[in-house]
Amino acid sequence: MSLSKLLKPLLVSAALVVGLAGCGAASDNEEGEAAKSKTTENQEVNIYTARHYEADDEIYKKFTEETGIKVNVVKGKAEELIERIKREGQSTAADLFVTVDGGVLAYAKQNNILQPVTSDVIDQNVPENLRDVDNNWIGLATRARIIAYSKDRVSPEELSTYEDLTSDKWKGKLLVRSSTSLYNQSLLASFIELNGEEQAEEWAQGIVNNFARQPDGGDRDQAKAIAAGTGDVAIMNTYYVGLLANSEDAEERKVADSIGVFFPNQETNGTHVNISGIGLTKHSKNKENAIKLIEYMTNVEAQEYLSSTNYEFPVNQNAAKPELLESWGDFKMQDLNFDTLGEHNKKAIEIFNKTGWK
Amino acid sequence: MRTELIKRKIKKEFNGWWLISLIGAVVILLPILFIFSSLFLEPNENWMQIRQYLLKNYVTNTFILVAFTAIFTAILGVTLAWLVAAYDFPLKSFFRWALLLPLSIPTFIAAYTYRTMLGYTGVVQSTLRNHFNYQINPEWLSVSGIGGAVFIFTLFLFPYVYLITRAFLESQSTSYIESARLLGRKPVTVFLKVVLPLSRPAIVGGTVLVFYEVLGDYGVTSYLGIHTISTAIFQTWFGMYDVDSAMRFAAWLMIIIIGIFILERLLRQGRRYHLSNKSRPLVAVKLKGLAGVAAFIYCGVVFLIGFLIPFIQLITWAFMTFDKVWDATFFTLIYQTVYIAVISTGIILILSVVVANVSRSHSYLSVILSKCVTSGYSIPGPIIAIGVLAMFIYLDQWLAPLYSAFGLGEAPLILSLSIVMLIVGYFIRFMATGYNPVEVGFEKVGIRYMEASRMLGKNVTKTFFKVDLPLIKGSIISGFVLTFVEICKELPLALLLRPFNFDTLATKTYQYANDEQIYEASISSLLIIAISILSVIIIQLIGKRVK
Repeated sequence: MSLSKLLKPLLVSAALVVGLAGCGAASDNEEGEAAKSKTTENQEVNIYTARHYEADDEIYKKFTEETGIKVNVVKGKAEELIERIKREGQSTAADLFVTVDGGVLAYAKQNNILQPVTSDVIDQNVPENLRDVDNNWIGLATRARIIAYSKDRVSPEELSTYEDLTSDKWKGKLLVRSSTSLYNQSLLASFIELNGEEQAEEWAQGIVNNFARQPDGGDRDQAKAIAAGTGDVAIMNTYYVGLLANSEDAEERKVADSIGVFFPNQETNGTHVNISGIGLTKHSKNKENAIKLIEYMTNVEAQEYLSSTNYEFPVNQNAAKPELLESWGDFKMQDLNFDTLGEHNKKAIEIFNKTGWK
Repeated sequence: MRTELIKRKIKKEFNGWWLISLIGAVVILLPILFIFSSLFLEPNENWMQIRQYLLKNYVTNTFILVAFTAIFTAILGVTLAWLVAAYDFPLKSFFRWALLLPLSIPTFIAAYTYRTMLGYTGVVQSTLRNHFNYQINPEWLSVSGIGGAVFIFTLFLFPYVYLITRAFLESQSTSYIESARLLGRKPVTVFLKVVLPLSRPAIVGGTVLVFYEVLGDYGVTSYLGIHTISTAIFQTWFGMYDVDSAMRFAAWLMIIIIGIFILERLLRQGRRYHLSNKSRPLVAVKLKGLAGVAAFIYCGVVFLIGFLIPFIQLITWAFMTFDKVWDATFFTLIYQTVYIAVISTGIILILSVVVANVSRSHSYLSVILSKCVTSGYSIPGPIIAIGVLAMFIYLDQWLAPLYSAFGLGEAPLILSLSIVMLIVGYFIRFMATGYNPVEVGFEKVGIRYMEASRMLGKNVTKTFFKVDLPLIKGSIISGFVLTFVEICKELPLALLLRPFNFDTLATKTYQYANDEQIYEASISSLLIIAISILSVIIIQLIGKRVK
């Protein structure tokens, strides 16, 4: 009697819970089995990506149309995806890891979740300086971290280098987003590598001293603040200039018209670029398909499509650039091993904290 | 002798219902224990760095944010509640429920809508610029920093205070207020000397809910770039890849929350009033002339900026981006959102009913039990996420021999990569939302019917299904709807605990906003708001039918 008294309600609720959860479990299993049968046929490739752009999805779709290989995409934040690939270990479903920013790519490599890619096609498509030194990841596109300036109030002759932005003439006129942005972290990490820790810290302090306002909003917001007259110059990404210039909103297009793009450090060590890259995961189950996709994404056609819809610079040097990017001309980029961005990331965050760059 | 007594008591009360309740309590308490355990670990170098440069800033920001939001929501909520409860003015019966609508807009969606709308390219500044040739200083209108966050939180969270205070004033304060009116007190005096002290428990109760929301917020503060203890948890976890320090933050935040909890108890105690349960409803006084217009304008303005304007703005953006953004994946998103919300809500309601049924005995043990299962509501999402994650990784390690026995490979992560983790997170966070209406339902029914049934020889389980369940059906449905809405709106838990290939409307919206694609985020935002409004309407309908 007492046992049945104990068990009855337990069983009733257990049945209900299992019933409810069962719907979920069933579909999970189906997916799992479907994935298994497909892997034996080698007809799919799984991507974990931190790039959430329609342009990327379109390229995956075309790849499937041409090769019959199904592309499964999982979107998330780069850091979360790395954390998950790490935790999944050998059982990971991911074949490829895609993200924006060299620092994060280097971090993924440091964490031992990637493996070298060997392909002559890829080596031909992408120049050596836009690949990881060990081919753990391959560049897909780049964005330059440039100086945007007000066409009304600043002439390009007044601009020269990132370092010059710390001089007194820009006091109260400089705009830049928060240091929590990976773009700023990698920028400072590159300075730590190129100029040493001490100078990098001086630079960060100089930038903070010249703030037109406390960092507020994203890269687009800095451009808008120039248009609004809050500041005269901003450190920002070419990608966002492209997005503003092609926005559905006429007001945003006006903002893009009012700012100029200046590539700093052309006479010295080059402009900093954010590189997007794709890496083969260490425990990839569909390695062949994965490499095929990398080859596809770096070919001229895909690169031209990516550049024309997403306003990023192509990595394939044979790909034509859209008009806007062409109008900015060629530029010299920083010459450094992307691994160093990952190595110095922690130091960069520490300097930001110390100098009060919010 | 004493132990004998306890043993007998346990024997008398212990049954399957108790067992399920206990399991529920353990699932809720374990992650919290995991978090506190981090305080006993040796702090690492990251923590030293955080303490040196950042901690003071994080704590002050959090404090300022919470304090100002609490003051403003209390002012807005109480004045509106008093107007609606005690007076009659144009459109009052519309405002009575319409003032709840700001709650249907998740605060992070409100934040990016307002920021963009009032920004340099937004409709306000561009209209002034293009049609009136007037450029306002953009910093004046800028929704940014702590000021911006307080603005958003106040406008979109005040209904918590409004709802609880209004309900209290309408049902329980009549005799005091009418006495004061009869004795010739002016309205302002009545408000200050009678209403405020009388409704203190309700005001404190509502404000504390706002407290918890703000303390646990991630969406608004991270979007506006404010460093609080909550954002610091994310940043140390994913920016510095340091789970230990993130847990340490979480533990400190928990300590603050326990402090607030104790403070709330103290504030609610002190004076007690004898409020009769069967008080007559308060008779509304008609506001004439200017006073009526003023009341109308006050409510109207709050309704406009707290709901209608951002809502219309989102609709225009949705039209602008519809062709570009809308595709079949939205159906998957809606399906996934509803799917996880229904499963989690179902589990929460089943357990709520079980625990509430157990707690009807009002013994010490059962009171403790019900406090335990509902404690999750005061814990911010990021903290629950981190505790659940720690617990699941530990569970997976513990179950590893079992996994390999079933041929699932060496030390795989089964549970912590499944949807179960997110369901457990929701369960902890929203247990109270489902439990409270059910408990109220049981209280209204009383124990007479149950006792009669037991006396006639039916056991607890049979009595429950034959007698209690039909009686509290209405409460269960409203508990279900409330919990369902909260889960559809929830952000930080979904962001951190969702399995792969899984997005909810909230995470999708956040992703767009985070990629600086504000216009593109409007459609998923509107879907969330639609689900919320629909649910509010359902509750209203149930309320009417019960009457």
